[in-house]
Amino acid sequence: MKLAQYVVQRFIGYLLVLFIGITITFFLPRLMPGDPINNYISQVQARAGQSLSAEATQQLRDSLAELYGLQGDIFTQYRNYLARVVRLDFGPSFTYYPEPVSNILLDAMPWTAGLLITTTLLSWLIGNSIGLIAGYFNKRRWATILEVVGIILYPIPYYILALVVILLLAYWIALFPLSPTFLPGPMTWNKAVSIIYNSFLPALTLILAGFGWNVLAMKALAVATKEDAYVQFARLKGTTDRTRMTNYVFRNAMLPQITALVLSLGFIFNGAIQTEVIFSYPGIGMTMRAAAGAGDYNLLYGAIILTIFSVATAALILDLIYPLFDPRIRLGG
Amino acid sequence: MIRLDNIVATYTTQRGHVNAVDGVTLEIPDSIVMGIAGESGCGKSTLMKVIYGDIGFPLSLSSGMVDYGFVNERGEPVTTENIRREWFRHISYIPQSSMSSLNPVVRIRDQFVDFPATAGRKKEVLAQVRAFVPKLGLPPEAIDAYPHQLSGGMRQRIMVAMATFFQPEVILADEPTTALDVVVQKSILLLLLDLQKEMGNTIMLVSHDMGVHYQITQKMLIMYAAKVVEYADTDDLFQRPLHPYTLMLINSLPTIGDDRARHGLPGSPPSLWEMPQGCRFAPRCPLATALCRKEEPPLLEHERGRFSACHYAASVPELKQTLQAGPRLSEIAHDTAQLTADVERDV
Ligand SMILES: Nc1ncnc2c1ncn2[C@@H]1O[C@H](COP(=O)(O)OP(=O)(O)OP(=O)(O)O)[C@@H](O)[C@H]1O
Ligand SMILES: [Mg+2]
Repeated sequence: MKLAQYVVQRFIGYLLVLFIGITITFFLPRLMPGDPINNYISQVQARAGQSLSAEATQQLRDSLAELYGLQGDIFTQYRNYLARVVRLDFGPSFTYYPEPVSNILLDAMPWTAGLLITTTLLSWLIGNSIGLIAGYFNKRRWATILEVVGIILYPIPYYILALVVILLLAYWIALFPLSPTFLPGPMTWNKAVSIIYNSFLPALTLILAGFGWNVLAMKALAVATKEDAYVQFARLKGTTDRTRMTNYVFRNAMLPQITALVLSLGFIFNGAIQTEVIFSYPGIGMTMRAAAGAGDYNLLYGAIILTIFSVATAALILDLIYPLFDPRIRLGG
Repeated sequence: MIRLDNIVATYTTQRGHVNAVDGVTLEIPDSIVMGIAGESGCGKSTLMKVIYGDIGFPLSLSSGMVDYGFVNERGEPVTTENIRREWFRHISYIPQSSMSSLNPVVRIRDQFVDFPATAGRKKEVLAQVRAFVPKLGLPPEAIDAYPHQLSGGMRQRIMVAMATFFQPEVILADEPTTALDVVVQKSILLLLLDLQKEMGNTIMLVSHDMGVHYQITQKMLIMYAAKVVEYADTDDLFQRPLHPYTLMLINSLPTIGDDRARHGLPGSPPSLWEMPQGCRFAPRCPLATALCRKEEPPLLEHERGRFSACHYAASVPELKQTLQAGPRLSEIAHDTAQLTADVERDV
């Protein structure tokens, strides 16, 4: 019963967060100076010279307003907007007119999700394993070497890391393509292999970039945790180093790291822009940048709502799974 | 019988080396409860570590070793050299704080079967554990709980269960109940005593509570500044101490209903870094003479089974007469029957 209550509470909180986020994305742009329709019309006018009549302009204005849900007073607009968000209908894209925004996003999403979920999980696993060993054996000299990996990697800015990887693996030793080419058509074994091969470089840079932080964080957590009384008592029980490192130190030190992992999974659609632009990778990040560059408001809206949705969902998932890792969390509390 | 032979235990610190146990030679008979008392910093915990065999940086053994008087599976005598392999099989340990000594995110039953001794037969051991815990006044489900779901007293019972489950010859308890309230303290000690009577283990109990020592121990070891100053049967030691420091410790014993100003311990023990020449207790001792300040008294058997490290051991009973301020021993409970009664009354 307590469990059901807990789940329902979290879910209501989740819907509330979504609602607030979506509402803010509705009002915020309207508080800003500039009018998307005016912008667009002036673009069209610039292209058409002065040949556009006032009447034609007004017609264009009306049809655009209808297209983008800018008709009526602000409350009507807001109601319509909410109804459309619920139906995942963000209207057509400017740049790819008349392709609906949701189609464009749906096409781009698997690329970003696949790349970032894989790399986030891998860099979490590798980074935390190294950090755990470095922290647990922090009195031994060889363990210091492990930590150095983190110390060196962590402060390097992402674009430099990406540049080094590209120089090394796409230029000097041309093992991987500089920018990926993806075969069209249905998914086959060959296509899957080619996707993995083509995604290798961006994936590598993301893993390297995420992993230093995990090494350092886990190392610090493990060093502190292994001095805790229950680890010391486990040592006096005669348990093996392996048992203590995994069942005692890791099971406790991973708790904050789980939080960090799930939240960073929620942010994958925000974090992808740099990578996708550097490697011309056809994901949400590229789409968002193109949309921002072209003033494609509908597409931008859709992408922003997608990120709100993914961050809020990650937070919900965290709330739901965290009690599995830490029994001290009181359900229904 | 456990033999300690000239144990010198040294901490390596940034300031240099310091001997926290400085030449302790002892014989501890089997199947007794031995109490260890002395002011903070006198080396009680360090001595327990040495006996447990938990020696590792910054602690090292500069001299001596412990002979436990029993043999391991292969028939070899167990000493400091190989005691680590016998942890919780032949020698166990009850930590001070049960609250923080259990892994908070793992069920207690899983923490019961990660001893090397249980490797490969967890199921079987767990069944035995389930049959064992009711003897400790715990509901059988207690071992399926997470630590935070149990009260402090129940958790400490779990620690006692772990320490006794494998029926070790020796159980070390370094202030096992300081984190608990008085009533629970007493019931845990009683439980430990009951189990000890049944299994015949040797218990070494460190406590600052001389009343507890008087009630439950058969032998007492009094430490002062890294040395043993007195070692004797508890009855003798309380009735007629042979070291002025023991006398002062007993005098500091609180007695219920006694509002005479208690003679606490004036002064403080010397720093381990600047040991006075001669007897370490001399600066605080009412009996100290020039001899004491020059020559360190060895621990000698003044009477049968009564060891004291005092040049004037024979004069201590007289000193006790003149002080006359101590609690009347008759007022303190001196057997477990009284302790049981206390617990029942308080509950
Ligand atoms: N890890 C350590 N490193 C350096 N010195 C230590 C260490 N542990 C203890 N000591 C020193 O050794 C001496 C004895 O300490 P120990 O813990 O054995 O005392 P104790 O009698 O158990 O005191 P308490 O009653 O406070 O528990 C103290 O002076 C202490 O400062
Ligand atoms: Mg101590």
